[in-house]
Amino acid sequence: MRIPAVVDQLRKIAGRDAVLDRPEDLMMYEYDAGVRKHTPAAVVFPQTTEHVSQIMGLAGSAGFPVVARGAGTGLSGGAISPEGGVVLAFARMNRILEVDAENFRAVVQPGVVNQTLSDNVAHLGLYFAPDPSSQKACTIGGNVAENSGGPHTLMHGVTVNHVTGVTVVLPSGEVVRFGGKAAECSGYDLTGFFVGSEGTIGIVTEITVKLLRRAERVATLLGIFETIDDGARTVSAITAAGITPAALEMLDGWTLRAVEAACHAGYPLDAGAVLLIELEGLAEQVEEQAEAVREVCVQQRAREVRRAKDENERALLWKGRKNAFAALGRLAPSYYSQDGVVPRTRIPAVLQFIEGIAKKYGLRIGNIFHAGDGNLHPLILFDPRDPEQLELVQQAGRDILEYCVSVGGSITGEHGVGLEKRDLMPLLFTDEDLDVMLSLRNAFNAAGVLNPGKLFPTTRVCAETRGASRNPVLAAEGM
Amino acid sequence: MSATGISLDVTRELRAICGEEYVTEDAADIGRSQFDGEHPIVVVKPGSAEEVTAVLQVAHARRLSVKPAGGLTPKRSEKRIDVVLQTSRLTQVEHYDHADLTVGVGAGMTVAQLNGMVAADRLLFACDPPQPGRATVGGVLASASHGPLRHGYGSLRDFCIGIRFVTGDGRRAKGGGRVVKNVAGYDLMKLLIGSFGTLAVITSASFKLFPAPRKTRTFLAELGSATEALRFRDVVLRSPLAPMCLELISPGARNLMRPEMASEAWVICVRAAGSDAVLARYRKELGSAVSREVEEQDETRMWQAIENFPVPPDEFGGNGSPTDFGQRIQITVAPRDVMTVVDTLNEIGLQGKIYVAFLGRVGIGHVLAVARDDSSGAASPTGLVIDALRTKLAANAGVKVESADNPWPIAPPNLDSMRAVKQALDPNNVLRGKDIL
Repeated sequence: MRIPAVVDQLRKIAGRDAVLDRPEDLMMYEYDAGVRKHTPAAVVFPQTTEHVSQIMGLAGSAGFPVVARGAGTGLSGGAISPEGGVVLAFARMNRILEVDAENFRAVVQPGVVNQTLSDNVAHLGLYFAPDPSSQKACTIGGNVAENSGGPHTLMHGVTVNHVTGVTVVLPSGEVVRFGGKAAECSGYDLTGFFVGSEGTIGIVTEITVKLLRRAERVATLLGIFETIDDGARTVSAITAAGITPAALEMLDGWTLRAVEAACHAGYPLDAGAVLLIELEGLAEQVEEQAEAVREVCVQQRAREVRRAKDENERALLWKGRKNAFAALGRLAPSYYSQDGVVPRTRIPAVLQFIEGIAKKYGLRIGNIFHAGDGNLHPLILFDPRDPEQLELVQQAGRDILEYCVSVGGSITGEHGVGLEKRDLMPLLFTDEDLDVMLSLRNAFNAAGVLNPGKLFPTTRVCAETRGASRNPVLAAEGM
Repeated sequence: MSATGISLDVTRELRAICGEEYVTEDAADIGRSQFDGEHPIVVVKPGSAEEVTAVLQVAHARRLSVKPAGGLTPKRSEKRIDVVLQTSRLTQVEHYDHADLTVGVGAGMTVAQLNGMVAADRLLFACDPPQPGRATVGGVLASASHGPLRHGYGSLRDFCIGIRFVTGDGRRAKGGGRVVKNVAGYDLMKLLIGSFGTLAVITSASFKLFPAPRKTRTFLAELGSATEALRFRDVVLRSPLAPMCLELISPGARNLMRPEMASEAWVICVRAAGSDAVLARYRKELGSAVSREVEEQDETRMWQAIENFPVPPDEFGGNGSPTDFGQRIQITVAPRDVMTVVDTLNEIGLQGKIYVAFLGRVGIGHVLAVARDDSSGAASPTGLVIDALRTKLAANAGVKVESADNPWPIAPPNLDSMRAVKQALDPNNVLRGKDIL
């Protein structure tokens, strides 16, 4: 079916005003927060699970690929359309369907903004724990697709630890429900398997999430260090002392100066690094831990340890952290953020390695990251108008991820593989590992209608395609 | 004539893979009675993931039926097994750095061995299944086992960070890795945890560890009815407290564990960790409902009894589960629905033919029940309990019986999707399970 005919059909399903196909509209949907771009053939805004089911049925018969999209804040290209693809945008499926405080659960549509859910249950003393830095914009559907994290996942876990059930539309159009409100279900844990599958298994249309009770006491400390090495060593010293902070974030000196200039968060301008350490729980416990953390910081040569006096000071410290990516936008036209993970004892070594990479390629690289769980976010500044620079930046990113893997780490802690890192998957996984994953994808999405070209290395999927069929949808896999 | 149901050729092939001494046709050493008496079996003990792969490739090609086995902690009555694949030689430590709070070990290591190793560094592997001296890492993963620590530390689903396995069709693969945060590739840990060995044989796994609590104390509240007990649970859940364990014990369960202290009270056990100041705060928040506090050895013994329920305390070190109770039925519902489960179980008990006892992590909606025939009449007390639950619970509740031919006695609502996954990893049904899907 040609695109104008597809658009007509989509309008019949979702409504006349629920489909975009003019180039000037489509441009808004050609990118996410990463560095790749591609314009979709059309964008449709389903309003019900039934719409999504019908659209999948149409995609199967008409042979166009489908990509689900939340707010487009992803950093790995997961929501970028392949050639001839239709984007399913969930902006109109943004209702909180149920708040079940008695069971500590909420049921939401995928387009609900992460922060909105927490705001809506705040009066009950509850909140939704996963807190990506983009939480004011990103959607819970997107969080499910990417298994998103955030600073407080150190104590509370990532998205999958907070999802107990999903309603999913499979590529066939069939609607299935995995899990529910119970913490465990009978049969395979398909909910857990689905979360983080990056839109390659099915499209989620309802999500049952856990809500947590707000802690009675929160202490937010700022450990200020003369050198980045002292700060880095403090990270594993804190966990070795038997303390699990709710969050343990690190900013290097260069980054914190850029952030301070933009956000006025109160960070010291002359420090080598700071650690933002948050403790939460029972008041007595938090006070004891705060004292213990202060001692560890001092032992590790902290120049000073400050504690936020009130909620305003705390909010200000976090504002600096959460807006850091945007603050760096003042220094360069664009940045490339990496998402590698290392065992936390390797943080000092990996930071030295990154410094070496910056020198080798003549790039500016800032470090602001989830130090407590070893999840790095080196931010490489560049000018996207210079294609040579982009290539250099991507090479630097690859070098850093190769190093992470070489010390027992991973290529992504919370951003997902998507388009961006699909060809780095062989660093972590053998052919047979990928073959098993691909056979699971094909158990649900054999024709590759859903989010083709993501997660799996191009070489692997091409081989699969040659062996499978000449389905035009699969041609998009090698996008 | 072959002494077994499988040909001598196959036995020879398996011996070529694992070595003569690790393939035996005498199943006595693993408790022959646990398997179907009619159908002879071969027991193999591979020494590496490579050997597991080769065994499963033979089984896949020849359409043999393989039963992966860890500590064989639950009694089993398996049918139609050709090969029992024991993981007892897969006990290697793959990585351990205490400062990273992560560890990776072979599937055959027992939970007690693993906890012994990390306890030396004041760390905790936060899974406390029954019979930790026999239960293996692979076994607890396959059955998604847990104990009272489930309340405060989450489940294996929350702290297993990597898994290595061989699929039913003989592909050696992995999911996750060794770091605490990782979203590269599909989350195969989730898929295999609780799949009861029907998709793949787990060969090793990596876990997050936790700092071991330095001081703990348990507060016991004895209440007059299940309703009062669950109301007290709600008080705890809505308080600022974050206990390690929050367990309900029915009068029947308590009478089994401590016959000398038989009473009709429903007990809520709140286990807390922390300094004297923290424990004092627990005392204050829990208030006058608390009738007793236990610590040190008494506390350890009490939680061991709960972990091993319904095995009597003097049998913990034994080799089997010598109890006249049938299988352990694990029920997980939304926390509010625990009352429905309790009512259902009580009703059956009141009919007087079978004795029903239960306890559970009721803060997360879990109840563990056992039933005994007290009238020599009921065909299957466990079956009666399950029938009653089937009529009362929502389709998406979690009900499992670890030791049954079919671990999911109430058919899961997503059988088609489960079948698709099974077909992708074990098309020849080497690891069984097609009949229950």
